[in-house]
Amino acid sequence: MSALKSLKRWFIDPNFSRKKQFLRSLEIFKDLRDGDLGHLVAALHSRSYREGEVVFVEGDIGRALFILESGGVDLTRHGADGKPAPLYSLKPGDFFGEMALLESLPRTATATATQKTHLHLLYKSKLDALLHGEPRIGVTIMSHLARLLSARLRRMNVDRTLVTSKND
Amino acid sequence: MTSVLTPFILAAAFAYILNPLVTYCEARGLRRAQLVVFGYLTALALGMSAYAGLKSLAVYEAELLQARAPAYLKQVQKFAAAQQIQLTKKLPLPPHVAQQALDTAIGGLFDKLQELPSHLFTLLPLLAHMLLVPFIGFFFLLDGPDGIEGLIQLCPSRFVEQAIHLLSEIDTALGNYLRGVLIVATAITIASFLGLVLLDVDNAIVIALLSGASSLVPYLGAAVGALVGGGMAFYQFGTFSAAMKVVALFVGIRLADEIFLQPVIAKHSVHLHPMAFLLALILGGELFGFMGLLFAIPAACILKALVQVSWSWYSSERGLALGAADGSGVPYT
Repeated sequence: MSALKSLKRWFIDPNFSRKKQFLRSLEIFKDLRDGDLGHLVAALHSRSYREGEVVFVEGDIGRALFILESGGVDLTRHGADGKPAPLYSLKPGDFFGEMALLESLPRTATATATQKTHLHLLYKSKLDALLHGEPRIGVTIMSHLARLLSARLRRMNVDRTLVTSKND
Repeated sequence: MTSVLTPFILAAAFAYILNPLVTYCEARGLRRAQLVVFGYLTALALGMSAYAGLKSLAVYEAELLQARAPAYLKQVQKFAAAQQIQLTKKLPLPPHVAQQALDTAIGGLFDKLQELPSHLFTLLPLLAHMLLVPFIGFFFLLDGPDGIEGLIQLCPSRFVEQAIHLLSEIDTALGNYLRGVLIVATAITIASFLGLVLLDVDNAIVIALLSGASSLVPYLGAAVGALVGGGMAFYQFGTFSAAMKVVALFVGIRLADEIFLQPVIAKHSVHLHPMAFLLALILGGELFGFMGLLFAIPAACILKALVQVSWSWYSSERGLALGAADGSGVPYT
């Protein structure tokens, strides 16, 4: 029995299990099954960033979703005065740049690593491949994205209504 | 330089073709290194069993050929004599002129056959690669995506998305083409083996393997099969109709490939214009010989992906690409 366990340990990749565990903890992937998460791990690219290193710049064409595993990322946007204004500080477990999975349009913010950071990238064509090859995974991710966008739009509508009624 | 790079290019292609299998198992949480070692040991065991089986089969086929050779020769002589009679009947030629014409034709054929060993010797370096390619491919497979991740890490951070875009496009175009070609080669090998066995043609396995291997170069597989198989059938049975049956078999295989396999493969594969396809083959063959023929289409696929990505970048930067869907007129409800 112990020999079987050590054989299993020899074959099973602990790094892979850790990645799967991390992805499972994210809202966008929480409904995925164990096997689906395996396919997703295989579809992800990873990269480490030094402190101050720019992940992408406002105006660049977006092509991937970024998932922050460790470290920190600041999102900034150029204001009317031309100076970068802070938008949001991301913490491990957050993801950003998700609009790139839907359309290849310019980024609306600049992302910069605030410390030594490790990011996973889900590239658009990999998601497209998952949509065709493993529709369950693609549909689950797309469904979460749709809900996320809907929530943001609803919040924006409420904010705009509040501003309009204040002005009146 | 080309000869030095050849085994590395072949090994990269070998690893690239096998990589999806390793990735599939990796997606189940298994370690890559162990998977590759286990896969190689399994392949080694299977290869040794196949060698043992093929060795006895090869010895059997050689003995068969040796035993039947006098009969085959008699068939050819009989055919030549019959042709001579036909020729002298149909044409107002004296018998010695007809004999001379036949001697020239058959002599030319035998001269070509004598040249065959020297052609085979040119393939010897490729046979040496048969050991070297899996050896180098082992290390390519072991590194797997780590090599790509290393390149991404080296790439300036701002261009990571573009780099992955390029790699992804090349992977899609190349991967689908290579996997398609392998499917076709396997199908042609099996179909031609079964067909040749049904037609009772000797050395069916060798002809089928030759035809399958040749089909790695587009359109060559069926042509080689028809030529070698037809020649074998003619040599064995001594009639044109036997050779024509084999030719018909390979025409059928080629048509079946075009009707049933190509639509499925082409659905996910890169679409090259037939002219570009032919140009790539001619250029590849002219510049790098057989290796050029083998890698002409994959190289064209990479070139096409490069052009597509460059255009996509350019059109995105210039705002030429289609933008977001414009739903601004309808309020959010």
